Amino acid sequence: MASYEDWNRIDEDEEEELEDASYYEGKKDVILFCIDCSPSMLELREHPKYENLQTCHLYTALEAAMNIEKRKVMVGPNDAVGIMLFNTTKRNESDGQSAEIKRGNFVYQPIETINAPNVQDVMRLLEAAKEDPNYLRETFPPMTEGRVPMGDVFTSCNWVIRDGAPKTATKRVFLVTDEDDPHPGAAKERLITTARTTLIDLVQAGVTVEPFFISTEEKPFSPSKFYSAVLLPTNVVDDDDAEGSILPESISIARVDELLAQMRIRELPKRAQFSVPFQLATDFTIGVKGYGLITEQKKGAYKYFVDLGDRMEVANSRTTYVDEDTQAEADKARILYGMELGATAESAEDEVGGMGLRIAPTDSRVFYTAEELRSFRTLGLDPMIKLLGFKKRSDLSFEDNIKHALFIYPDEMTYSGSKRTFTALLHTMIKKKKIGLVLAVTRRNATPQFCALLPQAEKVDEGGWHEPAGFHLIPLPFADDIRAAPVEESARASDELKDETRKFIDKLTIKTGAYNPDAFPNPALGYHNAQLEASAFREEFDPAAFEDRTIPKYDGMHKRAGTLIRAWKEALLQDESATMTIITAGSKRKADVSVDEAEIRSKYEVGTLEKLRVDQLKEFLKSRSQPVSGKKTELVDRVSEWLDKHP
Amino acid sequence: MFLVDVAPTMGKMRRVEMPGTKPGEVDVVEMTNLDWSLQFVMMKIQEMSELIVKQIYHGRKTEQCGVILFGSEETDNIINDENGGYENVKEYIPIGTPNAGTLAKLRELESSTTHGDPIDALIVGIETQNRHLGNKKTWTRKIVLLTDGENPIELEDWEATVKKMNALDIGLTIIGVDFDDEEFPFHEEDKSHVKRTNEEFFHKLAGSLNRGIVGNCDFALREVCRPDVKETRSAMLGTILRLGDVDARPEEAVEILCKTSKATAIQRPKSWKKFARRERHTDEEEGREPMQVDEDKTVFAQLRMRTEYYIERDKGEGEGPEAGGIETDTEDGEKKTHTVKVEKEQLVRGFKYGSSYAPCPDGQFPRLATRKGIDICGFFASKSFRREYAMSEVTYVWADTAQPLQQVALSALVQAMYEKGAMAIARWVTKDGSEPKMGVLQPVMFDQVDCLMFVRVCLVVMPFAEDVRNFPFPSLSNLVSKKGERITTHPYLPTQEQMEVMERFVDAMDLMDAGEKDEEGKRMPWFDTRLSYNPAIHRVKQAQFHAAVVTDLNTHPLPPPHPELTKYFDPPKRVLKRARGAIEQCKDRFRVREVPKKVARTRKDGHVRAQDEDDDTLLLDKVARRTKSSTQLVGTSQSQTLPTQSSQRAKKEKDESETESETEEEELLLDKKLIDGEALPTPAPEEPDRGQAPGRIIGSTYPLEDFKANMARGDVVTKAVGDLGAVIKEIVLRPFASRRSEEMVQCMRELRQASLEEDEIDAWNAFLRDLRTACLDDKPGNVEFWSSVQVEGRALSLISNSEASELGGKSDISESEAAEVCTPLSPRYYYYSRSAV
Repeated sequence: MASYEDWNRIDEDEEEELEDASYYEGKKDVILFCIDCSPSMLELREHPKYENLQTCHLYTALEAAMNIEKRKVMVGPNDAVGIMLFNTTKRNESDGQSAEIKRGNFVYQPIETINAPNVQDVMRLLEAAKEDPNYLRETFPPMTEGRVPMGDVFTSCNWVIRDGAPKTATKRVFLVTDEDDPHPGAAKERLITTARTTLIDLVQAGVTVEPFFISTEEKPFSPSKFYSAVLLPTNVVDDDDAEGSILPESISIARVDELLAQMRIRELPKRAQFSVPFQLATDFTIGVKGYGLITEQKKGAYKYFVDLGDRMEVANSRTTYVDEDTQAEADKARILYGMELGATAESAEDEVGGMGLRIAPTDSRVFYTAEELRSFRTLGLDPMIKLLGFKKRSDLSFEDNIKHALFIYPDEMTYSGSKRTFTALLHTMIKKKKIGLVLAVTRRNATPQFCALLPQAEKVDEGGWHEPAGFHLIPLPFADDIRAAPVEESARASDELKDETRKFIDKLTIKTGAYNPDAFPNPALGYHNAQLEASAFREEFDPAAFEDRTIPKYDGMHKRAGTLIRAWKEALLQDESATMTIITAGSKRKADVSVDEAEIRSKYEVGTLEKLRVDQLKEFLKSRSQPVSGKKTELVDRVSEWLDKHP
Repeated sequence: MFLVDVAPTMGKMRRVEMPGTKPGEVDVVEMTNLDWSLQFVMMKIQEMSELIVKQIYHGRKTEQCGVILFGSEETDNIINDENGGYENVKEYIPIGTPNAGTLAKLRELESSTTHGDPIDALIVGIETQNRHLGNKKTWTRKIVLLTDGENPIELEDWEATVKKMNALDIGLTIIGVDFDDEEFPFHEEDKSHVKRTNEEFFHKLAGSLNRGIVGNCDFALREVCRPDVKETRSAMLGTILRLGDVDARPEEAVEILCKTSKATAIQRPKSWKKFARRERHTDEEEGREPMQVDEDKTVFAQLRMRTEYYIERDKGEGEGPEAGGIETDTEDGEKKTHTVKVEKEQLVRGFKYGSSYAPCPDGQFPRLATRKGIDICGFFASKSFRREYAMSEVTYVWADTAQPLQQVALSALVQAMYEKGAMAIARWVTKDGSEPKMGVLQPVMFDQVDCLMFVRVCLVVMPFAEDVRNFPFPSLSNLVSKKGERITTHPYLPTQEQMEVMERFVDAMDLMDAGEKDEEGKRMPWFDTRLSYNPAIHRVKQAQFHAAVVTDLNTHPLPPPHPELTKYFDPPKRVLKRARGAIEQCKDRFRVREVPKKVARTRKDGHVRAQDEDDDTLLLDKVARRTKSSTQLVGTSQSQTLPTQSSQRAKKEKDESETESETEEEELLLDKKLIDGEALPTPAPEEPDRGQAPGRIIGSTYPLEDFKANMARGDVVTKAVGDLGAVIKEIVLRPFASRRSEEMVQCMRELRQASLEEDEIDAWNAFLRDLRTACLDDKPGNVEFWSSVQVEGRALSLISNSEASELGGKSDISESEAAEVCTPLSPRYYYYSRSAV
């Protein structure tokens, strides 16, 4: 299991080079679901998917919250979540801090690091509500008269978050309601003012409010009635996108079942990976921020636990550098860097200490400092993106890829005028079908990297979700990263065969769209997470219940193209060049190990495969891309198996 | 074979230009010609040497070398042994695989007092090499001759030598110190007559050889550092390309045997080993025998990584007998925790599920059962492929190289896909049981002169649903006003004029015709990935070689990187020249200004906020009006005022005509405050600093953040508490203080909390009393502010003894005294107090 040891261990040198994955893990994210519990939220309606089932907005909202909890726990096991309901007469036991919670607000789950019992709690609640549609109404009786002032809701949120959220976390409130005008009547002005004041308090405490407004045909939601006066231009407090004169961003959800999808978009707090100047020319620089929109989502790293009898405790690891002979720990700041020189160049010296020692005159310097090392890697460049020029869009080839792209967006706060310049550049490049070529140093210790700058136009689709305008920063391979093609010659198909192939490709072409990531949840990750969840819930995991959506849809494929493929296979066997033998020039051939498939098959049919030599069996398996390891009996078995499957 | 001239002239000191410690400066290091040219030998040797850098660079056993000196005091060579003659030629290092000792010996070389004949050395070299290799034909024979050409050469019979060298197919490289080289270019002034004659001779000699070359030493040294790409032949891994269900419906399914190999693979710089100076006394302390090292030597020991595991436990709990580690008190003052070291054997692997855990002794759960191979899921039009989705290195997929049937099958597929302009969506499992990856297959066809067609399919890993993060970004071009109308002119939106200059800029900066000329004299695109070397890899390699070659980095600093490494670091000059006008126009029209950086502050989220723009920005017409109004609000806007609703209303009534801009301004201010100093789209007058009075560590502009930052530092707590108190008092007593009262209350809360925790209780109590006097008794005072303090109640009261003692502090204030301050003056402040008790 040595390979796992290395999983979490990253050599310091590489550490700087690797993607900063810990960035997301290092920061805690806190979400407080703040869900309206008014009669209209509880109103029963037909379930959109299942007949005979009734559901309500509150159910959907809770279900979404539960799903977010389940997803978050995989991504950031340290993240905390809480659920608060408002407009309900249910009260918390008035002890301790919960006494601060205003009337009409009920803290269903205080903010806590997500844990299995809490998630299961919500699941049980939802289960019960499914059985008995009135269960939620009974559990959380709605306020029948009037509504809780929104100011009180925000104040309560503030208390809940203050109690439960660590200071350094990003804190967000997901506000779910379907009431666009909670306070009609005389006191409206006053209540708007209090709501706004309390919301400002909340924002000052570092909390962002992300509203999710449920809008239905019977009850359309108009943010202008109340919320646009209350909500701040942009709720993202630590980001840069607030615009004074611009309508606050809010999410109106046309269909309640989109709630989860919308929440998922906002599931991770938006954090920039870097903020650097973008130099278009000397003395013509704008500010940009970079975001990782596509990053490989990996399994959570395993941790070490110590069994203390009654409970498990996480063990933290600490890495030190020691001089093995003296067992003395080295001060990080004083570590020097050099090459291991084996039997060192200082042949004249006595090698007393053995390997790994280097003796040098005191006044001379034989090693580099960490600072010098950094300059070797960066060539003395500070973090920045520097424009080198423009190329045709078609010049960005498919194979010039090494890792995922980053997304850049202007940052008005470091350079004023960045947005207009960025926008002008973006539109011009789209219009002229150009890509940019840039030299990018995104972090202080990063190697300069040539990147293509691919413009993306803004696109809004009907669901309200849009593709943002900005540039994709696609790292290009260096000469060092490019490998030569090892195959130089091979047989090619005739035009007739190609035409046969076209027939089934046409049938199997997806008519609309291209690769859609949403269609392909990572099966390995899902399988792992499902087992982790089952283990945490102390449930049995049923592997059969797991669906791998990446497996091709065979039935559809065969229905559409099965006969065409069959015809193609026949045509292939008729093709002249397919039967041609290749003379491999130059290389000496060993003993002739090639065995005709027909010969092997006949041996197999009469059960005399054992008569073949091991190298013949291996050659056969190798040519079928099968493993060639194991004893002879295993090889024979494998050959039989293969022949079985390929009649 | 290296032939090295060690005649006295090689001992001449020369000045070598080195990059200085400061950029732009040049240090001059003096070293002998010999030392200098030896660097070349050492670099070369090192490149081929196996032992020294076996783990790093081309380690090949089949590269050997030897060193022969000429002009040495002694004479020791095979020809002399047998036949005599060939004086002053010494076989210094016998031919063999070079190692660290080779380098060390070279380093010891010093110039002699006599001189030797290079032709003698050459003949000795040929003979030595020939005897060593016998008649092995596979070896490439090379001789490198290093000289300054200042000593006489006996020019006779050299043609015979040439004949012999050509017969043996020996390559000769003559590296001359300060030889003229037109291509480099270099020309030595007042060259001696001997040297000129010799140079001519060397050129003649090299010219008559099949493989002969003369070079300038300086140039050669630089070229040794030229980046060269180490070609890695990718391993070909067998796999199967499948289409359809090969198990249930094999007759309708396709299987093509394939090989995959990498098309791109990220290379990283070689890693460094860590060393630390070994302290002398550590040996003695541990009772070991001190190392026998001279006083003027330092011992460096290589470090190894060691990982230890700890758990944290509260002191209150019983000491676990099972944890046999060492207990160490952490310096954490707040909570006494024990860090207990645990042995790795005691640890169990598991995963966290929030605060719950799921033990998993194997380090992972059973894997998803998968089968090796590439399954095609479907085809799609390649024009709808989103290039930014590609997230991995690229892999070739070839048909099995030995089976024409498979090749034709794949070829048919590729051609058909190519013709249709289609890509395939595929699921790739590298080996049984490993995690599946999604990718697209792109058909690639190669059409060569002989009309053979090579086909390959690239595979790029594509993101899974989980890998795509959908962050919301506000629209760049679609701005909507509060009234719901679309805004068409705004400082964030480029004007028509700006669009025009940008277009000119993009056209001028075009690289498609900025490269070298091709054979037909047409300019090619500038920049080619195949010529773009990873600067880090080659610079690190250069540094590693250099450190191994020189004895002291102080006297022999690392030379600058090879120009080849940085050739793409700036746009080509041609393009810059062409774009000069457009760039100037852009600068003029877009008026981008750097927002001055704030004094570094640490905020809990670590987010760095920016300052406002400087005020020398010329304004667009539209915003000029606003600036005016913002000017009158300067002091407050800069000092983070939160306008109260009442004042806003009051203004509204007062001056109707001003209302629009005013409200807008107020809103901007509000936002500004809330998002912490977002740069206004309109430039506002500059705030030069954080408003720190001399000697203070807390400024009046962002007192709370300053305070938090200082508290986080930890060592200036008393000063920070005192300063914040003084700043609060100052601000409260200034005119228009009501704008900041909310903020000041916030500051006071923070201050009180900190005072409690950091045992600055007396400071707080003194400050509060002082503030009260200042607000209520003095002129001008600020009665209103004091009221809002009182509304806070106990949250801002004096700290009583009972409260203090809870945290181990002391106070001379009784509970009742403390409570006294919190009688609210008037209920109209209710709305300010979110935490009214």
